[in-house]
Amino acid sequence: MTFISRRDLLKRAGALGAAAAVPADVARSLEPSEIAPETSVSAEAVALHHEAMAAAREPLENLTASEADLLEAIVARLIPTDANGPGATEARAAHYIDRALGGALASSRQAYTSGLAALDRYARSSRGKAFTELSTTDRDSVLIDVETGAATGFTGSSAAFFALVLNHTHQGTFGDPYYGGNANFIGWDLIGYPGIRTMVTAADQKSLEGHTLKANHKSAYDYESFTKASASLSRRSSGEKGA
Amino acid sequence: MMRLALCATMIAGSALAARAQPQKIVVGSPTLKADETMPRDYTPDGRNLSPPLTWSNLPGATKEIAVVCEDPDAGNPPPFVHWVIYKIPPTAKGLPEGLPIDPAAPMPSEIGGAIQGISGFRRAIYRGPAPPPGKPHHYHFVVYALDADLGLKPGLTRADLLAAINGHVIGQGEIVSIYERKAP
Repeated sequence: MTFISRRDLLKRAGALGAAAAVPADVARSLEPSEIAPETSVSAEAVALHHEAMAAAREPLENLTASEADLLEAIVARLIPTDANGPGATEARAAHYIDRALGGALASSRQAYTSGLAALDRYARSSRGKAFTELSTTDRDSVLIDVETGAATGFTGSSAAFFALVLNHTHQGTFGDPYYGGNANFIGWDLIGYPGIRTMVTAADQKSLEGHTLKANHKSAYDYESFTKASASLSRRSSGEKGA
Repeated sequence: MMRLALCATMIAGSALAARAQPQKIVVGSPTLKADETMPRDYTPDGRNLSPPLTWSNLPGATKEIAVVCEDPDAGNPPPFVHWVIYKIPPTAKGLPEGLPIDPAAPMPSEIGGAIQGISGFRRAIYRGPAPPPGKPHHYHFVVYALDADLGLKPGLTRADLLAAINGHVIGQGEIVSIYERKAP
């Protein structure tokens, strides 16, 4: 069981492409659904997965080490790595969330503190072990209970915390890599999004329609018209919506 | 000729009567006790496994079996549905504990071909009782014996299933389990 199917990802690729520079919008375009890994992902993506796995963990910016470990374990089940290719782990979605909690997602920091603690307490009380010590089946079962609001011990409904984390996991997997997720454009490759372009030729359009347009692996901030300086300035504005 | 027509009418009438009152199936469980508290492991306060069920006294003409778990104490409108499973082969003597929560995982061989339908949690798996604190809720595990292979497709809700099997139920039985959550 996973929480988003690769078939759904591919179906929604067009919407993602249009919103790729606006991660929050990307996330809102996706919703949890039944999972059945069904489509294949390129060998390049799988190779990038191994590269990402080999990368050492960078110092955390906002989460504690135990919170980060738990969050890593959660996002790994929300968009799992499997035979079809890499997932949220390789996209470094948790890294994105950790970074964003000090900026655009700062208003969610307390929700993560209480929500992660509640989720782990719930795992221990219901399944007898910390979430990170459970089998993948039991992790999925716990997450389903959190998603459906059946889990106890949360401030308010567990479903609200689940929706928050899922939304941010989508952002961290499919948003612009500049924000710390979608490492090596894994998320965009996963859904077949060929990348941001400021100009599309007739030949590009034809290739796109034939699903042969090669991904350019460019962030929006690789273009002068949307500079990292302006983005950084924007990120420093606390309380800003989106990521 | 008149006599033949009368006989046909009587036979048809008998069939209708049989359908109006399905044969009683005896439903049990190695772990659930009728009208007693459900063990935690079949709820989200435990592992949330689907409970094992057994049945006997199926009609001889049973071609497939369906099971629904419903809570008449919840839902808008009631009942709230916790489990829907159908296309269970007529050779099955029950359901084993802990059916897969991964849609890609195969069913146990003894119920091969069975399909889990959509519950009130909008998922095609069993999810156990999670009632709000305040009063005990009753969970009815209802077993239906059907007189035909109805070619039921994946993705049916309880309402879809009941509509599809209407007129084909030749046996029915249930076991009721109880669960209550205490206020924190």
